[in-house]
Amino acid sequence: MMQYPKIAIPLRSVHLWRYTPWKRIHPTKVEEMPSADVIKFSAGNDSGVEDSDEIARSFIHSISKVCKSITLKDEQLELDLRCSGHICAGELLLKSSGDSSLIIRISGDAGWTGIRVLGEVTGNLSVAVINDLSGDGHLLRCEDWSVGRDSTLEFATLSTGGFLNKSDIRVILTHTGANVRGGVASNGYGSRHDDHHFEIEHLVGHTTSSLVMHASCDGASHSVGTGLLSICEGANGSDAGQVFRNLLLSEKARAEAIPELEVLADDVKAAHGAASAPVDINQIHYLASRGLSFSEATSLIVEGFLMDAFRDVKNKEVLTTLRTRLLVHLECLING
Amino acid sequence: MSGEAARDAVGDYRYGFHDPENSTIRFDEGLSEQVVIDISELKNEPQWMTDVRVKAYRRFIEMPMPTWGNCDLIDQIDFEAVTYFLRSSKGTETDWDDVPEDIKNTFERLGIPEAEQKWLGGVTAQYESEAVYHSIREDLEEQGVIFLDMDSGLKQYPEIVKKYFATVVPASDNKFSALNTAVWSGGSFIYVPKGIHVAMPVQAYFRINAKNMGQFERTLIIADEGSSINYVEGCTAPTYSTDSLHSAVVELIAMKGAKIRYSTIQNWSSNVYNLVTKRGVAHSDATIEWVDGNIGSKLTMKYPSVLLKGEGAHAEVISVAYAGTGQHQDTGAKVYHLAPNTTSNILSKSISKDGGRSSYRGMIQVAPKAHGCRSKIVCDAIILDGESQSDTYPTMEIGNSSADLEHEASVSKVSNDQLFYLMSRGHSEEEAMGLIVNGFFEPFTRELPMEYAVELNRLLELEMEGAIG
Repeated sequence: MMQYPKIAIPLRSVHLWRYTPWKRIHPTKVEEMPSADVIKFSAGNDSGVEDSDEIARSFIHSISKVCKSITLKDEQLELDLRCSGHICAGELLLKSSGDSSLIIRISGDAGWTGIRVLGEVTGNLSVAVINDLSGDGHLLRCEDWSVGRDSTLEFATLSTGGFLNKSDIRVILTHTGANVRGGVASNGYGSRHDDHHFEIEHLVGHTTSSLVMHASCDGASHSVGTGLLSICEGANGSDAGQVFRNLLLSEKARAEAIPELEVLADDVKAAHGAASAPVDINQIHYLASRGLSFSEATSLIVEGFLMDAFRDVKNKEVLTTLRTRLLVHLECLING
Repeated sequence: MSGEAARDAVGDYRYGFHDPENSTIRFDEGLSEQVVIDISELKNEPQWMTDVRVKAYRRFIEMPMPTWGNCDLIDQIDFEAVTYFLRSSKGTETDWDDVPEDIKNTFERLGIPEAEQKWLGGVTAQYESEAVYHSIREDLEEQGVIFLDMDSGLKQYPEIVKKYFATVVPASDNKFSALNTAVWSGGSFIYVPKGIHVAMPVQAYFRINAKNMGQFERTLIIADEGSSINYVEGCTAPTYSTDSLHSAVVELIAMKGAKIRYSTIQNWSSNVYNLVTKRGVAHSDATIEWVDGNIGSKLTMKYPSVLLKGEGAHAEVISVAYAGTGQHQDTGAKVYHLAPNTTSNILSKSISKDGGRSSYRGMIQVAPKAHGCRSKIVCDAIILDGESQSDTYPTMEIGNSSADLEHEASVSKVSNDQLFYLMSRGHSEEEAMGLIVNGFFEPFTRELPMEYAVELNRLLELEMEGAIG
């Protein structure tokens, strides 16, 4: 297996790297292997994972000095990842069975953070990742999930922190009856750049997937959502859907959406959609006529829009945490 | 290879017949700067065009192959095995009786003269590298409409060609546009004066007859202010066991308030690489419509594009693709909203069958100052068996907050309920499937002139034979 410096720099013609090229998200010069501080995990045992052929994963693996493993069985866990220092990195190995939930909160004032997660799901797992990094931090986040027979992965991401974020989340549905439901909410403000890439692979038939990404884009922020939904040969009976929606709030905000489909089986349902539009002025007017200021009205609409990304999250505790974090964040934005 | 073996290799194809090759000039296979200069000299072109060609050839050599589409198939193209120029007739005739007998027979078998008499405003028939027949209705000519083959256009109207040539698709756009600019030959040149509406469609028909042939036609259509034109093109080639290359460039310019509709029914044989760059510029309140049917070829990579440059401009792209055995239809649409209040609609439909692959690849871009833009993209795909593949690769880049964009796509198989319904009304399963497919493509066929729509439905029925069981 190739180690980081030997892997060729990916071309920008590959959608994964189109808007946030490797050179931009790498913390130093691309040929360099900087020294990294460790991410402080609030739970987990020391462990190790293998390297990867993929450049971002291999890079995080190469600079990480910490790898934790967590096994969940019918458990609820809140995991804090504290990131500090100029550059910090860490890896997490996760195994879940039974009905479990996990809330991962990434916070701290690190200049650059690299996180790699490898997860294996049997049973039902609801996992939420909350990006609460300080406003000038950079985040590179790579996740690989495999979902087993008759199992369900519910993953939610609330991305409100950091200045430059790139996440690459890949899910493989390995056995019949596997199911994944994803919801991602991104709040863009200032010059924030938030890039999310998703790959969901239906390896076998009778598997289902749904992904919803909602991004609100204010200021001169830039939201990117790219997704690749693959249904492999013979994976008949698969049902897959993917939706990207962007709410455009300011003149200088930008949003990109690339929802891709690759279907190699004939007896499937596969659909994707994307929509971008400004806030409906009638909604603002309605709220303003009830006494809300313009920023309060906009904030309320943004809250409703972003929370709608989590419509498929069934775990109530996870949902409550996501809502609370979002409300706190939006209130901070209004009140400075 | 025997005839039977060749048929096995390329499949059953209605227009697969070919004539004995009676070329008057045939260049050796292979490409060099000298070949490019020779083509230009042979056509007695002005020096500026020779310079454009040579410069484009140098860009072609430098530029890499595309990294999208079907890289495995593209990499199989042997540019040294292609014939870049072949002249089959002494010149472009305006009287059908003067066209060489064998070529005339070919076009008569394809139904071109009959169509011209009945419902066309003008016809260009291109055979190999150059047009062999060309005509335009007298009333259109009297109104100042110019409809010529591109070589004649360059000779007769050099100032117009120089002004617009390669302004929409520059040679440096991609490797195949550079190749076309270097070795172009034939194609159509149309200028519609201000306020003139060409009511009857004009047609170009492109035929490759020789083996290992490269056809590189160049089409330039300029619709002046408030004018309109409907241009239709069709393409076929014989079935050979070796590959041919078709790499055209089409440039459309719709001035203020003008409308251009460009319809294509591409039915190349399954040994043709169809790598085409088509792009239009729409100025204020102008409309450009691409109606694009892709049924044939081994590999098609074609993404008709529109640059909406003036306020209120509109783009419409309707495309269908049929991918059968050994075919990859990598098609799509690109619309760049560069001015405020511009709108676009894209409708793409595809069917994959017998191991074929159809891909939609699209781009919608809204510039930061293009306020009030609207765009809607709909992609529907049907896969008829487990060996086939369907992909969708849409890209949306939105640069301001007032844009309103929607994209939706779905991939599915033919519904058993629909089949059952039709079969319960007395149709066989095959007929029912044919009806459903025709209905699926109906939004496309209704945009075509009726004769084309009937022909397309017939072609699809032929392709769909044996789809059941």
